Amino acid sequence: MEGAGTEPNISPPDSTAQQDSPFSMTDLFLVSLIVGLFTYWWFFRKKKEEVPDLPKIAAPVRDSSFIEKMKKTGRNIVVFYGSQTGTAEEFANRLSKDAHRYGLRGMAADPEEYDLSDLSRLSEIDKSLAVFCMATYGEGDPTDNAQDFYDWLQEADADLSGLRFAVFGLGNKTYEHFNAMGKYVDKRLEELGAQRIFELGLGDDDGNLEEDFITWREQFWPAVCEHFGVEATGEESSIRQYELVVHTDVNMNKVYTGEMGRLKSYENQKPPFDAKNPFLAQVTENRKLNEGGERHLMHLELDISNSKIRYESGDHVAVYPANDSSLVNQIGEILGMDLDTIMSLNNLDEESNKKHPFPCPTSYRTALTYYLDITNPPRTNVLYELAQYATDAGEQERLRKMASSAAEGKALYLSWVVEARRNILAILQDMPSLRPPIDHLCELLPRLQARYYSIASSSKVHPNAIHICAVTVEYETKTGRLNKGVATNWLKNKVPNENGSNSLVPMYVRKSQFRLPFKPSTPVIMIGPGTGIAPFVGFIQERAWLKQQGKEVGDTVLYYGCRHEREDYLYREELARFHQEGVLTQLNVAFSRDQAEKVYVQHLLKKNKENIWKLLNEGNAHIYVCGDARNMARDVQNTFYEIVAEFGNMSQPQAVDYVKKLMTKGRYSLDVWS
Amino acid sequence: MQPSKTHSSESMSKDLSELMKEATKEVHEQAENTPFMMNFQKGQVSLHEFKLVAASLYFIYSALEEESERNKDNPVYAPVYFPAELHRKAALEQDLEYFYGRNWKEEIACPQATQKYVERLHYVGKSQPELLVAHAYTRYLGDLSGGQVLKKIAQKALQLPSTGEGLAFFTFDGVSNATKFKQLYRSRMNALEMDLATKKRVLEEAKKAFLLNIQVFEALQELVSKGQENGHPVQLKAELRTRNINKSYEHGPAHGKESERINRRHTDMMPITPLVRWILALSFLAMTVAVGLFVM
Repeated sequence: MEGAGTEPNISPPDSTAQQDSPFSMTDLFLVSLIVGLFTYWWFFRKKKEEVPDLPKIAAPVRDSSFIEKMKKTGRNIVVFYGSQTGTAEEFANRLSKDAHRYGLRGMAADPEEYDLSDLSRLSEIDKSLAVFCMATYGEGDPTDNAQDFYDWLQEADADLSGLRFAVFGLGNKTYEHFNAMGKYVDKRLEELGAQRIFELGLGDDDGNLEEDFITWREQFWPAVCEHFGVEATGEESSIRQYELVVHTDVNMNKVYTGEMGRLKSYENQKPPFDAKNPFLAQVTENRKLNEGGERHLMHLELDISNSKIRYESGDHVAVYPANDSSLVNQIGEILGMDLDTIMSLNNLDEESNKKHPFPCPTSYRTALTYYLDITNPPRTNVLYELAQYATDAGEQERLRKMASSAAEGKALYLSWVVEARRNILAILQDMPSLRPPIDHLCELLPRLQARYYSIASSSKVHPNAIHICAVTVEYETKTGRLNKGVATNWLKNKVPNENGSNSLVPMYVRKSQFRLPFKPSTPVIMIGPGTGIAPFVGFIQERAWLKQQGKEVGDTVLYYGCRHEREDYLYREELARFHQEGVLTQLNVAFSRDQAEKVYVQHLLKKNKENIWKLLNEGNAHIYVCGDARNMARDVQNTFYEIVAEFGNMSQPQAVDYVKKLMTKGRYSLDVWS
Repeated sequence: MQPSKTHSSESMSKDLSELMKEATKEVHEQAENTPFMMNFQKGQVSLHEFKLVAASLYFIYSALEEESERNKDNPVYAPVYFPAELHRKAALEQDLEYFYGRNWKEEIACPQATQKYVERLHYVGKSQPELLVAHAYTRYLGDLSGGQVLKKIAQKALQLPSTGEGLAFFTFDGVSNATKFKQLYRSRMNALEMDLATKKRVLEEAKKAFLLNIQVFEALQELVSKGQENGHPVQLKAELRTRNINKSYEHGPAHGKESERINRRHTDMMPITPLVRWILALSFLAMTVAVGLFVM
């Protein structure tokens, strides 16, 4: 019970009652009665006030003029929100907090509580700005709390010249009147004479509303700064989210050494295993698959015995890689830090669910190795935050420029960071005056993500092992540096059957929907060039097993492609064997670079049009495509349109429709990546 | 689109998945337009209502999944048996415990409309299992589609934690891609061996399933409106709680969350405290008098 009041102090002076004192019995009785009654009254009083706790109007007398309120509290930016489920309100709060960074002061406001006709007075405040976060509901309607504002906008004939504004709309593309409210407010305010200082933002909840908001916000503030002639520095140290605590005397048993979830979860493994609790699988095999060429393609086998992990062919295995230690060391050297310092980064917002950016306490070394992404080119907001640490004016300016929304800045970022594939170390090396504190850097870098691979084995044949087929990523950048893929190089260096982390892979299985047909008699057409062959190795193993079990197995057709027959024909022996045994009814292989003209899987498909149509139309075949998303998948799909149109006697649009229907019905499945 | 004269398009239109979609189009729209669903989509749902829905869903899914288990090896159902990916009973149990507490099983009741649905499920599962797929299709594919949007709405409207408590029902841990899973499910539906007559019966059963769902929601709607008529303070409280928290943002997020927690406790304790207070007050008075008398 809240506020039950103080404990009533009834301690009648019974001790003194026995003595002969100035107090008579009657006095004592009266005193205790009064005390009792007083206590009762006090108790009752508080109680009456608490019982109707329903309408708790928390704030005292509310000014319906937001202008007065802003003047009183020294704000210049007001962010109104039209919110039904709280999202727009949340965005409004975040925007109003942002203002602080730019030497401005913002406040979020519910339009229902104020007289919006006061907007015409906003110019009374210096550097004022009205921002609107408006959600659209139902058939293009305003949210409940914005209804009055909407009505006023429609009817009023106000003169809003002098009012500066910007609008961010929250909507959903699956609804017909996408962002109608946001669009209306933006248009109407301008009609009434107000000055738009930044373009309308259109957030799409069907896509990624949060991302839309962040993107809009990242460009909105620079525009505001430009307009008001303020600098985005505001304070010397920009807003840190976390506070660094260095531990000098710490129990090493409480320090994280790379676990994803529970402390010591890598020492005491407990099922069930998933993304937050990965299983440390022993690598039992790691061999090179290609016979020649410059690339390194590999086949790995992970032992999942005793893990209770189950999988089906077609599923994905997720692995948590570690960054290259030399890269980590170089970062430590260039920043002059002892990477083995144990520290914690604690969230300054105590209400946040996210106490730390990654498991803490831990060492910088562990953070940079297991928890942080140090190989991808950093995003603009990272550059923005780091700029303050560049002591050379030129470097600082370049960093700020690349983080800005100006066209020139965006172009510079694109060429100097993205196209040149500069990671954080490269940036530190190429900007010698930029030496940020390592803890701030750790706060800014994104988390290291798990990598997914299509499982290359069948659980019917290999229930205790998961096979992986991958190619190591390695390339030279425009700056002459050699960039290496994190997970593929880490996997490459795994040594089978050794003691220790060198042969352990933290992993879990992510179920996919890429599945063989329910009936073994259904024909399958598998198209998987390069490492796209991975899931099909599992599929073919399973079909072989089904055959052994005496089931009637339908046509099993494979279209595979690689560069050179003698160099990178993956699983050549295994495929030949399956083909010979009759499990693989058709083995079609394209060697793209073995002749003058490029020959790809789609060319082979085109050579077998009639057969493919027969399998599709009469055999009810299922099609599977795995591998490169950008070109191969699209080219293969176009080839199917061709085959269907030609042999199915259909027009192109009809053929496209036919193929799209195959996808809807689960007869054309994709497992592709870019 | 001109139908092709080839054999292909005819066989396509015999696919159960396509027939189902077509047959349930109308009744699906009807379900979307029930007052309850329309209000829900606008974020106008109270905790009280939501708890009732969760309870009904628990009875429904318990029945559906019991019958699924019974028929998992039956060729008329096996292809669409996806317990790890789809089953909701465990998730609903988690949510109910979150909303009602440890004794949730004693707290929930099965309304009549829900009971009717449950009985139909058991009947189909035991006596006409070839029709069970109609019920699985109706519920599960719906949950995978609109479910995700509804989850976000429910989370915001009921101020539920972002860590997912109370929303386990909407969370399909075994499905990494809802669209792809639906495609897979359809291919499995089409793998069921079924003559045309049976297909027709399945379509009818699917329509029946939709109608049973509509009836459940309409009954819940009535129950809730009756509660409002009697001046039941609970619904009002939930909406005001939302207001409360919005207002208290100005004082910082800490207060918002606290007041929510306190309000929640208040919701539960309200009926008890006045009585306790009365007793305490009277006993203090009595004690005072007694002391006085003793002293005398």
